[in-house]
Amino acid sequence: MIQTIAYGLTIGGILYIISIGLSLTFGTMRIVNFAHGFVYTIGAYLLISALPIVRDNFFLGAVLAVAAVIPISYVIERFVIRKLYGVSIDYAIIATYAVVLIGVDLTKWIWGASPIPLSDPIGRDITLFSGVSLPMYRVLIIVLAVVIFGALTVFFKKTIVGKIVTASLEDKDAVKSLGINVDKYFSIVFVIGSCLAALGGVLYAPITSVHPYMGMMVLLISFAVVIVGGLGNIKGTFISAFVLGLVMAITGRYYGPAAETMVFVVMGIVLIFKPVEV
Amino acid sequence: METVKTGLTKRNIWKLLDIPIIAAGFLVILPLLGINRTTDFIIFCVFVLGFNILYGFMGRLSFGHMLYLGTGAYTITLFSEHVSQNPLLAILASLVAGALIGVILGPIIVRTTGACFALINLAFCQVGYFLVLVAFSRYTGGEDGMSAYFSKLSFLNFGNRYVVFGFVLFCLLLTYYLLKKFTSSPFGVLIKSIKENETRVKFLGYNTFTYKWVTFIISTTVSAFAGALSILNYGYATPSFIDPSRAVEVIFAALIGGSGSLYGSIIGGVVYMAISNYLASYVPRWEMFLGFALLVVVFRFRTGVWGFIVGLLGRKRKALAR
Repeated sequence: MIQTIAYGLTIGGILYIISIGLSLTFGTMRIVNFAHGFVYTIGAYLLISALPIVRDNFFLGAVLAVAAVIPISYVIERFVIRKLYGVSIDYAIIATYAVVLIGVDLTKWIWGASPIPLSDPIGRDITLFSGVSLPMYRVLIIVLAVVIFGALTVFFKKTIVGKIVTASLEDKDAVKSLGINVDKYFSIVFVIGSCLAALGGVLYAPITSVHPYMGMMVLLISFAVVIVGGLGNIKGTFISAFVLGLVMAITGRYYGPAAETMVFVVMGIVLIFKPVEV
Repeated sequence: METVKTGLTKRNIWKLLDIPIIAAGFLVILPLLGINRTTDFIIFCVFVLGFNILYGFMGRLSFGHMLYLGTGAYTITLFSEHVSQNPLLAILASLVAGALIGVILGPIIVRTTGACFALINLAFCQVGYFLVLVAFSRYTGGEDGMSAYFSKLSFLNFGNRYVVFGFVLFCLLLTYYLLKKFTSSPFGVLIKSIKENETRVKFLGYNTFTYKWVTFIISTTVSAFAGALSILNYGYATPSFIDPSRAVEVIFAALIGGSGSLYGSIIGGVVYMAISNYLASYVPRWEMFLGFALLVVVFRFRTGVWGFIVGLLGRKRKALAR
């Protein structure tokens, strides 16, 4: 059981890293960014391409993959997302979905449609206590998620960019009326969020196999995380990611195929008691 | 105003003749595409109508409408296997199932708007897909799907392709007629007002929740109807009828045709089916093409084909008036 909980925390850590970007774009622009799922996928694929260059050094490969996502996410922001500010929400959803369609097809074109397996980059187990052992890699993920949570909290509390974005989450027009170009800061946040999504893809790649449609399911689950945690709520996203990660792991222990479905059941229950106003 | 008073002006004839025009349109494309494809097109148009009543008229974009199509498809199949092979009874059962799923999920779904509405539908669709594919695979055949057999009725033999075609066309026209009545009724006007500004409608004293719920139920029922008709046509239910990743098809069709118009839904359905049936065999990177087409529609061509035609006619009329 402790093993299951530990696995759940790993999933929660990855979910948090992916969801935070979604939560920010959702909270600031009120649009669901489907392209987020694509960025997650492309992160994993870039890792696969980067690994031979850096002689299978996982850490360097991960850094390269995340860095390579910066221009990609900037292009998405500049040519699609930025044009959607103030447009009807439906068009925003459809346009970002179109980006996913293009992206997925591009991935299939470049890397092929068949799944690519990756091995655990560390491969050593760590014994926590009283015989519960866990792959080192998974422990690292949990630690990384907590570190990122801390870093983001500092970023949103201490830096000027973070403060502007936090204020815009509350009241965008008021921040605008102070003469601040909110959209510019949003694009910075968008790129950061995309990089984190790519990092999530990179981290998750050794645990599952990499395939062009891997982003879709993850996007749906991180959407559930965002809904349960509250839109644009940084702390709430953190907690709900770990809770839903545990839900997935515990459900998976008893009835494997239902793990992902259970997340949506939780989301449905949350929505019944706490309707989201968007 | 002058057009309203006189009985048969140009506009009125256009409005009165819409059902014969739609029927004639499909009869014209029948020899061009062959009977199987045309039947397919018509069924898809029913689905687009069901989707558009929610999207175009009430302004709620659902990303999981395949769930309601799949509900209809699987209900008719399971009904024919376990209860009765009478096709009309089976269709009735899937209509009831479509309405029922709207009744059950409606209170959760219709309270949300915008992105949440889209994704909650998608999440439920994912759950439905899981149920069909894994949890109940003993009954649904899982990935392999299952066949449906229908007994022959004395007046309707669904073994004959032309009978199916005629029946499906009749169903489309019936759906169109009912939805036209619905959208032009005070209820329909209220739905459109909810799309424009729900707060004001609430302020006028209407309980918008009930109206949204009922519209949602109508939409799920019509979608389930389309699902049932497809089974009548194919005779085989597979999980692809409930596959969440296919949700974009109907959205694209509604967008192409121009949301918020019933004519537009039918034009959009035909245009989308034509693209996906024929272009896919010429353009190798089909998904990418669809993606770029969606971006063009969203950024440059928002009113869709029907909106474009209406706009063109309006401009011409203005030019003539001058």
